[in-house]
Parts: sequence; C-alpha cells; structure tokens
Amino acid sequence: MATNQDTNTSAQAEASEDISSQEMLLNMGPQHPSTHGVLRLVLKLEGETVVDCTPVIGYLHRGIEKILENRPVMGGIRYMDNADYLSPMLNEIAYAGAVEQLMGIEPPWRAQYIRLLVGEMQRIASHLVAVGTYLLDLGAFTPVLWTFRDREGIMALFEALGGSRFNVNYLRVGGVLHDFPNGWLKECEAYLDQLEKNMAELEKLITGNEIFEARTQGVGYIDPQQAIAYGLTGPMLRASGVNWDLRVNRPYMAYREVPVIMQVRQEGDCYARYRVRIQEIHESIRLCRVALDKMPGGPISTRTPIALRPPRGETYFAIESSKGELGIYFISDGSEYPWRAKIRGPSLVNLQILPELLRGHKMSDVVAITGSLDLVLGEVDR
Amino acid sequence: MHISVLLGDDIGSQLLNGIFSLQFLQFIIAFLSFFGFVLTSAVILILAERKVMAWMQDRIGPFHTGPWGLLQTVADVGKLLLKEDIHAVKADKSLFLLAPSVFMAPVIAAFAVIPFSPYIGLPGTALATGIIYYVAMSSIDVVGVIMAGWSSNNKYSLIGGLRSAAQMISYELPLVLALLSVVMLTSALAGSPGYPGSSGIGTISIREIIDFQNAWPKNGVGIPVLDFIFKGFTPWAWFFLIQPLMIIVYYICGLAETNRAPFDLPEAESELVAGYLTEYSGMRWALFFLGEYGNMTIVSAIATALFLGGWSGPGVAYLTGLGGFGWGLLGNLLGVVYFIIKVYLLCFVFIWVRSTLPRLRADQLMQFAWLILIPITLFNILLTGLIYLVVSSLALGNLTNLVFLVVVGIFNWAMLFAFIWIVRRATSATTRRALAPAIRAQRRATPATQIPERAGAPGGGQ
Repeated sequence: MATNQDTNTSAQAEASEDISSQEMLLNMGPQHPSTHGVLRLVLKLEGETVVDCTPVIGYLHRGIEKILENRPVMGGIRYMDNADYLSPMLNEIAYAGAVEQLMGIEPPWRAQYIRLLVGEMQRIASHLVAVGTYLLDLGAFTPVLWTFRDREGIMALFEALGGSRFNVNYLRVGGVLHDFPNGWLKECEAYLDQLEKNMAELEKLITGNEIFEARTQGVGYIDPQQAIAYGLTGPMLRASGVNWDLRVNRPYMAYREVPVIMQVRQEGDCYARYRVRIQEIHESIRLCRVALDKMPGGPISTRTPIALRPPRGETYFAIESSKGELGIYFISDGSEYPWRAKIRGPSLVNLQILPELLRGHKMSDVVAITGSLDLVLGEVDR
Repeated sequence: MHISVLLGDDIGSQLLNGIFSLQFLQFIIAFLSFFGFVLTSAVILILAERKVMAWMQDRIGPFHTGPWGLLQTVADVGKLLLKEDIHAVKADKSLFLLAPSVFMAPVIAAFAVIPFSPYIGLPGTALATGIIYYVAMSSIDVVGVIMAGWSSNNKYSLIGGLRSAAQMISYELPLVLALLSVVMLTSALAGSPGYPGSSGIGTISIREIIDFQNAWPKNGVGIPVLDFIFKGFTPWAWFFLIQPLMIIVYYICGLAETNRAPFDLPEAESELVAGYLTEYSGMRWALFFLGEYGNMTIVSAIATALFLGGWSGPGVAYLTGLGGFGWGLLGNLLGVVYFIIKVYLLCFVFIWVRSTLPRLRADQLMQFAWLILIPITLFNILLTGLIYLVVSSLALGNLTNLVFLVVVGIFNWAMLFAFIWIVRRATSATTRRALAPAIRAQRRATPATQIPERAGAPGGGQ
C-alpha cells in the first residue's frame, strides 16, 4: 500500500523512510462549505500535504444540453440561465449569438450595445461573487457580504430591465426583450459611481493584507505553457501572463467598436488571479460607462419569426464570459429545435488543472486554490 | 472506630463550621454570581458579536427576536437545549460525552483568580500565584479539544483536534513570556516609594499587579478633586504604556488560545467544516461555544488586569477609602463597571479582528509563533533585565524608577514598530512566496506532472 506509484517526490520518499506514516483518504464534498456547490474532491493526504486529488463531478447534472434539444430555439435561452448561474446574461449572449451567427442575423446596434452593457454588468456581478467567496474560503468573513451587497445593485437593475433578478431571460435571438425603463440609465450610472467607491473600500480591506498575501502569493502557480496546454481561458489564463481575451483577439458584437484593455498579470498564482478579477471589475465599469455614453438609438430587435427555424448547418460561437471562453456549438437540422447545442463551459475546462495544482500543497491551500479557479458547478455539470 | 471518631471530632465539625460560616456563604454567592457572569457574558458576547459584525459588514444582524434582536441568543440556547443529542455510532462514547465538560470546566475555574473590584471577587483572587493558575487552567482546554477531535472518529475532527493541540501548545509559550515581562516590571518596582511590596520581590498575584499600576500616593496629595480622580487611577503608569509590545503579543496569543480568527484553524469552516465540533450537536456543541466565549472573556480580563489597570478608574479607590459600608459598596460597584467596560472593550477588538482578517495557514501559524513571537518575547525579557541592571547601577536615587520605566517604555515602543515591520516582512518572506521556486522545480522534475503534449496547441506563450 505504501509502495504506490503516486508518491514519487523525493521529499515523501525521505519522509516514509524516517517515519512510517499512512496516507489518509479524505472526501471533501459534495457537501462542504468551500467547494462552491457540489464539487467532490477525493484527497489523498500525507499528514496535511496533498499527495493526490481526484475531482468528482456530476452532482448538479440537470441535462441542460439535452433540454436545449427539446425546446424551441427561442425557448432555450431561459435554460441557458441555469448553466453558469452566476452569469446568466453572458450565457444568453453566447446562445443568442450562436443562433444569430447560424441564421446570419445582425442585431441592431442598440441591441448590441445593450448586450455589451448588461454583459459587462454581469461580469462585474460574477467577479464580485468570485472575489467575495474566495475571501470567505480564506477565512475573511466581511468581503463576501460587501460584494454581495454590491452585486444586489446589479440584480435590482436587471430586475427593472428584464423582470427577474437572477434568471433574467432577457435576450432574444436578434436583439433583446425590452428597452430601458424610464430613469434606468441614470440609476445605472449612479450605481457604477457607488460601485467604484465600494471597490476602493474593498481593496483597502483585502489587497494589502499581509495574511492574504501570505496565503495566496506563490500558491497554485500555473506556467503560461501549462495554462495553454490545459486549455485554460479567462482570468485563469490571463493571470499566467498569456494575453488572450476573446473581446480583444476575436472581437464580437459591440466590442468591434468599443476597445477593451486586456488585464494581464505575470505571476500566475492565486494572488494574480484575484488581482486580474479586481482589475477586470474596474475595466468593466469603464466599459459600462463607455456603453452608456455611446448608446445608439434605434430598434432594440430585428423582427424574427416566432417559430424560429435556423437553416441546416452548424456553427461555433464563443464569447469571453466571466470565467473564460464560453462557446456554443450549435447544429441545426432545419427544424424548430436545435439538433445539438453543446456548451463549451470555461469552468469545466478550468477545473481540469486542479489535481495538478493541488499536488504538494497543504490542506489549507486546497481551498485557497480551488477558490481561485472560480468554479461554478452549474456550468461544470450542466 | 478510630476513623469515625476522627471524622466526627475534627473534619466533620470543621466541615460543619465551615459550611455554616459567613465566608462559605460569601463563597457560594460569589461563585454563583461568577458562574452566572461567565454564562451571561457568553450570551452577551454572542449577541454583541453578531450585532457588531453586522454593523461592520453593512447588514442588520438578528432583529426578529425581541426588541432589536436582544433575545436572539436566548432563543438559540432554548433551541440547543431542546435539540437531540446525536452520537456517531463509531464514536468513542465516553470520551465524546466528556469532552465538552473538560473544555468548559477550566474556563469557569480560571475566573476564580479574576478580581472585579477591590473587594468583589472569589477567595481565589487572593491567590499569590494568580498568573500561574490562569496559565495552567487555560492550557487544560486543549485536552478537551483533543478528546473531542479523537473521539468523534471523523477525519475533519481529527485534523481539527491535532491542529488545535499544536496551536495551543505553541502559543502557550509566548503568552507566558509576555506575562513574564509584567512580572519583571513589578519585581523592579517593588518596595520603591509609591509601590507596594518589599524591595526586589515581584509578584504574580493578579490583585497586586493591579496595585502596581496605580502609583498615586496612598494618602493623596491633599487636593480633593485630584484625589477623587487619580487616587488608585494613574493611567500613565499602566503597564500597556510601558510594555505596549507585550500586550499586543499577549493579545495575539490570546486570539490563538481561544481559536479565534485569524487563528481559527481548528474549526476552520471553509476547510474542516467545523473541525473538532463537526460531530457535536445540541447542548454539547453549545458547551464548546460557551467555553470559547468564556475564554474570550477571560483572556480580555487578564489583559485588563495586567496591562490596563484592572478595576481602577476615577473614584474607586477614593470612595472605598472613605470608610463606611455605603461608600465602599458604591466604590466597588464603580470598580466592577470600569472592569467590565475594559473587558468588553478588548472583546470588541476580538470581534473587530475577526471581521477584518483572513485566516492563516497551519504552517504559517507555527512559524509565526516559533520564529517571531517567542524570540521577540525572550529578547524583551533580556532587554528589560539589562535596562534594570544598567539603571539601578547608575545610582540615580529617587529617579531610578522613573528613568527605568521611561527607558523600558521607549525601547518597547521602538520594538513595537520594529515588530510590525518584521511581521510585514516575515509574512511574505517566510511563506510560500519564497518557497514557490522550489515547488515549481519539484513539480517540473516529477515525471507524472509533465505537460501533456498536444498537436496543434497554440504555443510560445501567445
């Protein structure tokens, strides 16, 4: 039992010569406070050091891809909300975008700018949750409540816009559902001003904190090469010094007109991933302001038939979601229902590197590293 | 026959005399009121913690039960009392049932040496070895935690219990060394004008240490207003001004001893679910909770007595010195009020720290204790001794004490800032940031972790 092939580091070999210790198998999850839902990690521990880790997924599998096949194309948008449940707007943008790309529809500019605006607000909301829960994993109790308070503002704005806080169901193929209600834009601007102040306060609490730095700097390091090889995207990739952001490299929709400043850091550790998220929040605030300034007039939607029949064919459309590249591979057989709608979820792909990262780290680092991946199990399991 | 005679004559009558004596009645009343104080204090602190944290976190906190949520903890305790006491099947039953009591008992016992005012206190406050008694009691706690962790037969509990054992033992040392610095001050000051005791003999009695911090002339200076305020109340002579670093070290160790954030690794919620508490439910769980909050109170109470002048405040010594039962009672009650205000002020800092800081990692925790706190406390003891040696050999006459205190104070304040600087440096230097290159190299050298090569993967860092 002690002669298994996994323990091949020299330090462990020495340790097993000196003291005869037994590896402990620890089930972390699916019910565990810091696995962000229902991720289960089977940890093999040597003392407090992680020897091996096997993530077990599938506890939140709801068959979203299969549901999409059984709903009319327009009805699928509502189910996309539940995939990455922290950024429903971005999921909807990806799905609607894929169908539009297949049908060759170009939404009116106003709709594209609205999409950019709500998409960036959703990115802010998602990153706020990521930062807050990450700090909760590290034992700080206050940031999560502050970030959820700030996120609530976005939720309220979405409610005014689409009628629902969370599963907004706001996008339509060819545009968006409603135009802004009266006074919404002003409220949005006021919210962004307030958010900027709150972010400064939050950073004062977290960023310079020695304990936070000690817990995250140098922990969970990812090589740029390794990050590319594992197919990481989003803040995970950019924190490793790879400048890849679909909004910049493959601009889509209104991003063709609104340039994005890419947020990249070179360290590649948990701290860098945290900082990239914080910087992206600031960048998103800027983008929201630009969208509010440049918001064009005109219709909010092209007229599309109620029974949407995309032409026979297949397409892949990817957007930069809050967690990385969110792609929809859409195959249509010409009927009202998609033949296949495959979701390329960034969380699932980003999860693959976790066992690699955890090996050799301490038990306490497990939560520090897992939290920095910003997993949403709704999207991992779908 | 012989034994019964002995019992009847000696011990029995002594017991009877003892039980019916006034002292025993006083003891019973004092004990009950102190027991009540520990429990009430825990209840108040739990509510205060929730309210204060809510205030800091921009939310409301409990507000449904009673006015302003005041009855929330009462309702919680009622719920916990009525809850089923669940045991895991494979738990070591006797240890599992005993552990909460073993955790709780020393907390209540430790209160025996805490004086609340010049006269109000258990007979234990007269104990000449107050500090040692407190340290002994506070280190028994760890036994209860290990018992709970081991007997639960749960991996999270076990890790929590063992972490706790390592943590409490490590932080016991700097805690005692920090208290020792106060004892050194008393032994340097003893016997000199304005201070109690005989020359060169310090004290480890908590009551006497409080006296040492109030150096106003015993008979007053003759101006009634000044006497009323400053008799028995000289905040400029409190030991936290002379040894500011030591109260901070003591306080940090207190945080670790009570398993409070940022040292709450044994019950780290996000890692170990609830640590050694994982398998507990109902009143047994509540006992651990009460013990933790009682511990918080006692750490604050000791810090108050040793560094913040204990019960002393304007009017206490003056009123009790007037003579007469009424004035004495008033003065004592005033003393209790001052004491409790100071204790809760320190408890507030506990809560403040909890809502501010993230948690340390286990190895960082150990490094902090062994590489920073213990050397710095040892160095402080050495320095205080050296300063005393040098100052007392200068033959300054009446000014010896003043010069000694001022010099120690200056050095200690300087060390405080040095300490903050060191901690800043050390947290980033001794942690994984420095170790990161080694970990990377190790991971690269490990064959199992080679990057899977993939045809067509974008390469070159772009």
